[in-house]
Amino acid sequence: MNIILVLIPISLVLLVAGVWAFFWGVNNSQFDDLQTPALMPLSDDPPPVRKSGDSAGSE
Amino acid sequence: MCCIGCRAAVEWIATLGLQDYYRLRDTPAQRALPVDDYSAWDRPQVQRLHVRRQRDGSAEACVLVEGLRCPACTWLIERALRDVPGVHDVGVNPAARRLRVVWSPDTITLSQILVRLARLGYVPHPISAEALDALGQREQRAALKRLVVAGLGMMQAMMYAVALYAGAFEGMNPSTRDFFRWIGLLVTTPVIAYSAPVFFIGAWREWRTRRLGMDTPVALAVGLVYLASIFETLRGGSQVYFDSASMFVFLLLSGRYMEMHARHRAADVVDALARLQPALAQRRAASGELETVGVHELETGDTVTIAAGSAIPADGVLLSTTCRVDEALLTGESAPRDRRCGETLVAGSIARSGPIQLRVVHIGAETVLSSIVRLAARAQQQRPRWARLGDRFAARFVAGVLVLSLATACAWLLVDPSRAFAATLAVLVVSCPCAFALSAPTALTRAMAVLARLGVLVVKPDALEKLVRANHFVFDKTGTLTHNCIELAAVTPLSNRSADACLHLAAQLEQANTHPIALAIRAATRTSSHDQASALRNVAGAGVEGEIDGHAFRLGRGSFACAIGHSSTPADDEDVVLADGSGALARFSFRETVREDAMTTIAALRRDGVGVEILSGDSASRVASLAARLGIASFRARMGPAQKLERLQALRDGGAVVAMIGDGVNDAPVLAGADVAIALGGGAQLAHSSADIVLAGDRLGALIDARALARRTLHILRQNIYWAAAYNFTLIPLAAMGWISPWLAAIGMSTSSLFVIFNALRIAAPRKASVDVAADVNLAAAIRPVPA
Repeated sequence: MNIILVLIPISLVLLVAGVWAFFWGVNNSQFDDLQTPALMPLSDDPPPVRKSGDSAGSE
Repeated sequence: MCCIGCRAAVEWIATLGLQDYYRLRDTPAQRALPVDDYSAWDRPQVQRLHVRRQRDGSAEACVLVEGLRCPACTWLIERALRDVPGVHDVGVNPAARRLRVVWSPDTITLSQILVRLARLGYVPHPISAEALDALGQREQRAALKRLVVAGLGMMQAMMYAVALYAGAFEGMNPSTRDFFRWIGLLVTTPVIAYSAPVFFIGAWREWRTRRLGMDTPVALAVGLVYLASIFETLRGGSQVYFDSASMFVFLLLSGRYMEMHARHRAADVVDALARLQPALAQRRAASGELETVGVHELETGDTVTIAAGSAIPADGVLLSTTCRVDEALLTGESAPRDRRCGETLVAGSIARSGPIQLRVVHIGAETVLSSIVRLAARAQQQRPRWARLGDRFAARFVAGVLVLSLATACAWLLVDPSRAFAATLAVLVVSCPCAFALSAPTALTRAMAVLARLGVLVVKPDALEKLVRANHFVFDKTGTLTHNCIELAAVTPLSNRSADACLHLAAQLEQANTHPIALAIRAATRTSSHDQASALRNVAGAGVEGEIDGHAFRLGRGSFACAIGHSSTPADDEDVVLADGSGALARFSFRETVREDAMTTIAALRRDGVGVEILSGDSASRVASLAARLGIASFRARMGPAQKLERLQALRDGGAVVAMIGDGVNDAPVLAGADVAIALGGGAQLAHSSADIVLAGDRLGALIDARALARRTLHILRQNIYWAAAYNFTLIPLAAMGWISPWLAAIGMSTSSLFVIFNALRIAAPRKASVDVAADVNLAAAIRPVPA
């Protein structure tokens, strides 16, 4: 049973690593939009570049 | 600083000369916010966008407030700002995080008011699209992190709990058991410290306002279970409940996360409206050259040029001779309107022909668009708030349980002090208001998830209940019951030519046109017309003329078409007439295209025995004909937003629970005035934030599905509450008698929570989606040649 004394700390370290990786992902906008990126490979054309100037109202 | 209390503390620290505390502290994000410089808000260029002068000399502004969460903040802000000399009126809308303030500019400046707001810890932002996006994003990220920490913590804690349960049966030596407990404490602590503070903060706010809400039982349960488990771990007691604590936090957070997601997905009306107005305009300088300037730089009297298809930047007077303008978003008028030189154009509407010249009359906050925004914001503030029954009951229940556990502790201390802690803990755990607290959120969350799959976004959970209770459905016409286009209704031959022949001629005349009437005529003929017409000429606002096989034809308004042969004009302005040299040949009448599922939806509502009514801004004849087609007896035409609101108020005063279904900006204030507001999300995507429910699939029939599902949800919600009540009232006495050991209580509590959750999962999409296509939209059947 002494093996748990090794395995549990390892699992905790992995847990911390997982949470850290997730936080990194959230902070780097990996989770901001979960729908669009999945569809992007399906579109042939690159999405039109939106100029900062032509924002509102034109649609 | 988050509240008055903290501010008092900070001032106290300052008076003691301990400001160094702030200098020495190394987590700047936690600092009381450095009060920014808000003097930029006083600059006229900025004020013009966000501030509106009123007739009595006072000024009114609407700002987005960060950190505004609940009625407590509302109370605090209103109290803090209302006492400021020079401030006349303060209105806070916590749902939309908006503050409306009226002040007199002679006494105080806007920046001074905002500084005061910032001192309270609420950061004001100008209302602009980007500001809201960033805010929503931050909120979403924080919620996601909290959720995942709670989820991972829960999984780990449960794993160790399983080991502990197994150990309890199989025999485990105390040192191993304590090791698992300490590990459990280690993984649960981040959940409590990072994920659960939302509930603690909420409970603290509820406590400050002396109003027991849902957060109080949650916070108490989580806090007590956690503290009791630590205590048990320290003293090596019989049972720990780390798994319960973290599971509880995770489940509630996931409910909240989905709620927030739905709220974000439905766009915010005020910002959508702000987006309607373009950011840039083409101004004609004194030299005659065009220059591109920001809309906020426009001055009254400027001349701007607007290209066809662009939005109009400011309210103004048309300088060009004629122009076709699409005002559908603002007035609900279905067809683009012709404006002549000297008439007023409204900011936010779209120029369909152009380029046109416009002299600016009103800018920024003075425009019609801005006043609609303000009206929408105000209507939202006046909306009555309904306290949920389960909420109130849970609050009373918590108070009762606290008293009961105290009584249990006292009783056992007198009888047998050694069993006092176990019995008290058993009462607290077994009666843990989880089942109560979870019964409403799980059912509502599940319902919202199922509805989202059906294309129905529930923005405010309360709306489901009201959707079921609604007994009067009020529809807007344009864009809601109808599409924003027209179709040919009838062809009436006026000479010996057949209706088909006339239609064929008309289609050839209109072959190159993109006018809605031309599209409708071409759609009706179906046969591909050969290019036989020549010398085609468009006459703006009148019609089209051309030659076919050497004969001259005109198609358009009666007066225009018949002018070709100097014949008399057939009456009826709305129709289009085809004429040649000998006189009028045929009259074409048009009607709006009815939404495919409007017929079935209305029929289903009537079967349910609810009242159906149309309120429209359009002309009486169009509304009447549509009402007749759909079989709706009650309709009102030519209604502005104010009249619509009045009508809704009258209905509600009469005891009806009113559901309003609309689309378009002009509905925004009206939607906010209904008991339950439903917006169709296909077209304008605008009325959403006033809406409680958004039919995102642009499918009216989803309304019926949503209603059926909402009914089922309420049924299950009630079941859940009855179950929780039955469970608690059976087991609490047993626990108080000391017959239930804490670990058994924990299992009981988990079971009751799981029962509630699984019961909620029974809410599923209706087996048969009610998407029947009404037969009357078939174009071929729609054209009925009427004998002359």
